[in-house]
Amino acid sequence: MSNIIEVNNLTVSFIVRGGNLLLFERGSGMMSVVDDVSFHVREGETFGLAGETGSGKSIIAWVLVGLFRPRSGSVKLLGKEINFRKKADVRYLRQNVGIVFQDPVGSLNPRLRVKEIVREALVASKTFDRRDYDSRIEETIDLVGLRKSSLGAYPRELSGGEKQRVSLARAIAVPRKMLVLDEPTSSLDVSVQAQVLNTLKELKSKLHLSYFFITHDINVMKYMSDSLGILYYGKLLEVGRTYDVVTNPKHPFTVRLMSNVPGLKRAEHQQEEDLGDRGSSPTGCVYSRVCPHVFDKCSNSPAMFSLGSDHFAACFLHDK
Amino acid sequence: MGLRQSGEAADRDLLKVNGLTLDYATIDQRVRVLENVSLHVKKGEILGVVGESGSGKTTLGLSIIGLLDSPPADIISGSITFEGKDLLKMDHADLSQLRGPGIGMVFQEALAALNPVYRTDAQLKESIEVLRRAQKLNLSAKDETKMMIETLTDLRLDKPEWVMTKYPHELSGGMRQRLSIAMAIVEKPKLLILDEVTTGLDVYVQNRILGILKDLNRRTGTAMMFITHDLTVASQISDRLYVMYAGRVMERGGTEHILNAPLHPYTQKLFAAIPHGFVDSPPLPAPTGEAPDLRTLPSGCKFHPRCPFVMHKCKETEPPVFETEGERSALCWLLEKK
Repeated sequence: MSNIIEVNNLTVSFIVRGGNLLLFERGSGMMSVVDDVSFHVREGETFGLAGETGSGKSIIAWVLVGLFRPRSGSVKLLGKEINFRKKADVRYLRQNVGIVFQDPVGSLNPRLRVKEIVREALVASKTFDRRDYDSRIEETIDLVGLRKSSLGAYPRELSGGEKQRVSLARAIAVPRKMLVLDEPTSSLDVSVQAQVLNTLKELKSKLHLSYFFITHDINVMKYMSDSLGILYYGKLLEVGRTYDVVTNPKHPFTVRLMSNVPGLKRAEHQQEEDLGDRGSSPTGCVYSRVCPHVFDKCSNSPAMFSLGSDHFAACFLHDK
Repeated sequence: MGLRQSGEAADRDLLKVNGLTLDYATIDQRVRVLENVSLHVKKGEILGVVGESGSGKTTLGLSIIGLLDSPPADIISGSITFEGKDLLKMDHADLSQLRGPGIGMVFQEALAALNPVYRTDAQLKESIEVLRRAQKLNLSAKDETKMMIETLTDLRLDKPEWVMTKYPHELSGGMRQRLSIAMAIVEKPKLLILDEVTTGLDVYVQNRILGILKDLNRRTGTAMMFITHDLTVASQISDRLYVMYAGRVMERGGTEHILNAPLHPYTQKLFAAIPHGFVDSPPLPAPTGEAPDLRTLPSGCKFHPRCPFVMHKCKETEPPVFETEGERSALCWLLEKK
């Protein structure tokens, strides 16, 4: 199986002036919000990315559709390396990769009707003849499970689930190779979430798509992804096939994450240790501040250690 | 024996909502938001109220603490009793005395609930002022600071002295939410209404806040009404659960009982909609159709258009509350004894 997208040693940095004391106690400089991240999305599969708020998940999503330029590292789409400084390359990336943003309210123009929202995507891509717009829009609306009657509606007249479907319609109006789904269901009720997840799975096989799926809900992650990566403060801590990572987590952070999966049970014991704020020391393993297994080696930055079939963890405990 | 037991049970009820029916009325429309909602919170328990958007759970919370504007809110019938006093008959002054030290509430959006130009200490001082007036306490500035630090420490905020000098925008989401909880608990309420307090926070912060609340409940015996749309969160923290749909309590019972064997088809569907299993699992058996529109509710049982077990009767008559053993009940004709 070939890879749709290959990301190697991706680093994204923000320029910081003054510095926010809560985040780090430094003056102006560069701060890496995504640091040396590598992964690939295989054709026809879903790669899931999990992590806490502020871990850099959305930044990676935005890089994948050319909204952010990486500081270093490479992104390869279908084997072709993307030069983010070249307009044609970014265009090629956006032609093939669609995105559904997390916030269905903020990502839809309140002054446009549903059909105009979807049309915008067609106009921007220039792959369709103007005369075919209407039939393409209707076809897309039907694919995502919206009624034809909603074509003339404004976003505010739609429910949360319907809005997210409009977002999805806009993303697939132009045929894509891959969709970036940034927490597409986290603002939805559980029954609506289930309907949207079902639609996403259906679309994937119908349109031969691959997904890059971001969520912080491990139940959703398990259900949706073939492979997954765990991001923590911009560092990828563990990556592997979903089944392996969930049933046999190796990084101490992942171990804790997996033991904390909320299920339908009375949890008698809650994890209460405080992860604290982002540390001011950028050296060494990012998790070492709160890791229960910390030892002298952890003051260095761990590489990704292989644990067998496609399973890697960035932790010195697995350095053999 | 039976009599004594029920007498004791009534005594243990801190809050009792009885047959509450409420409309939102505007000039051109009248929408029924709550229909015959009955609920009680026992002393020292954590009660979970679960429902999807538009099920009326937030309206219920706001009506208990008396924060609904009228109009548009119009209470048609029912009563809300707190420690034996009917809140709906109380005047404004008495009610505002009760808010805070009697019933506290924490809202969903911490950032919106906090005053952006107040630092933490000023926010908390406001709450302490309410407590001081209500209980005519004599507090020195030193006492107040001590109370604030204690409360923040209770909520496991790392450096309370540091947090005290910060504005809301300088705090993280989890810290903000804890600060808004601190504002409520510094007044030592007997009942704490928590409306979607963990929504939008990631799993960790969520777990930490649930742990803190549970711990608080155990140590101080503060009763809590935990309103959420997230079944997994509700099931982790609450002793008993109420499941709401279209302004009605569809099912109530002990958390464990409901989790093991939900009575109402809606509750069953809600459980089934939670993703489980790996990527090759079959599609989720989500409830089909859309959430009910309160303006155009179906006849009979409000869940019948989406119910897999729908019978002729369900379309015609709305089911009454069927009680079953172990303080459980559900609004479903399937439970009718033949």
